[in-house]
Amino acid sequence: MLIHHHPTDELLSAYCAGSLPLSQALCLSAHIEMCKTCQTNSQRLSQLGAYIFNHTKPATVNNDLKEKIFSQLDQRPYHLKTTERKSMAAGHASAEVPKCLKQFVASNYDELNWHRVSFAIRQANICTGGNGAQVSLMRIKAGGKAGLHTHMGNEFTTVLKGAFSDESGLFQQGDFVVRDSQHKHRPAATKDSECICLTVLEAPIQFTGYFTRWLNPLLRRGYPSA
Amino acid sequence: MVSSLTEEEQIALQHKMRQCMQKVAQHRDKEAFGVLFDHFAPLLRSFSLAREPGASLMADELTQVVLLKVWEKAHTYNSDKASVSTWIYTLARNSRIDLLRRSGRYTTEIDPEYLWQETEDESTDPFLDVQQKRAEKSIADAFEHLSIDQRQVLTKVYLEGKTHQESAEELALPLGTIKSRIRLALKKLQILVRNQPC
Ligand SMILES: [Zn+2]
Repeated sequence: MLIHHHPTDELLSAYCAGSLPLSQALCLSAHIEMCKTCQTNSQRLSQLGAYIFNHTKPATVNNDLKEKIFSQLDQRPYHLKTTERKSMAAGHASAEVPKCLKQFVASNYDELNWHRVSFAIRQANICTGGNGAQVSLMRIKAGGKAGLHTHMGNEFTTVLKGAFSDESGLFQQGDFVVRDSQHKHRPAATKDSECICLTVLEAPIQFTGYFTRWLNPLLRRGYPSA
Repeated sequence: MVSSLTEEEQIALQHKMRQCMQKVAQHRDKEAFGVLFDHFAPLLRSFSLAREPGASLMADELTQVVLLKVWEKAHTYNSDKASVSTWIYTLARNSRIDLLRRSGRYTTEIDPEYLWQETEDESTDPFLDVQQKRAEKSIADAFEHLSIDQRQVLTKVYLEGKTHQESAEELALPLGTIKSRIRLALKKLQILVRNQPC
């Protein structure tokens, strides 16, 4: 697999620090599962986290806490190190769904509740982030085009299947891309296969005035129909 | 930041922790677990308090959750892949997110348990161990040479668990400055690789 588009170093480090909103972390996680480079770098950035963790000023620990923890040891599940490794028996049908999405997609994408956005596009909302972000899967027919659109917040995308292209390039399976709210784009799936993407649309900046409060539900729409 | 140990002492400590992990994994050795406890419990409490200052009960809870995981999952620890500290740091990071989520700090259906998964990579790379130790040394050598500003931002993000936006607000800096400080710091540490084939 050839992956050309990765998260920036600072974004990946936020992921490894655990300081990224969970919706965005989900999108990075899907990329990392497919990307050897980012797997290695995540390991390095976690080592950096461990260094910082190791050099913090230790806090005092109450003796009660130690007793409390030790008193539970004998009741905990018993695992001894064995030489054989458990084989991860993942069903063949589910191979294409990244592990991080298994909580929402049990076996394959067809089981989701897809709704039509336009002739070429279907969308399945899978969850919301704590910060009002919308996490969905977008499915574009082979050769299908989305309407020209912008969004109010940043949009994170990981390509799960197929490929799409737009004004700024070609994005293939495994690629990760962030679009900011200024970016106007019109993605189209390549002709050979349908394209499925995981997208996380950040909640737009909330306008607080009376008039704009009324406008907000309209502004929130991410994908106008083509 | 406290860094009182010499490089040799650091290596000896790492070695001792690895041995303790082995004893816990193979023999359920409580004495070895006690050594791990004494070293990591104060760091874990501190890690929790950095995120939620004053939340002493939460700090105890995080410490308990992580150390019981160490006890139960010691057999899954792979010393080629990570030092004991790195392994425990990742447990702490994940558990902190989970505790914050349970306490209602994140209102989302996303279960962090599915994220940050160990990629079950069956290919045993003979150089994994070497690469990991080299990166560790690289971090130890370069970290103290980062600028105070760079260290401050990394500490906010890693220790306090702040987003870039929150860090920008707390330090009264533009978001772009936060990002560029992190980027430059990472460049200086020289630990990241580019475009490995999959
Ligand atoms: Zn990558």
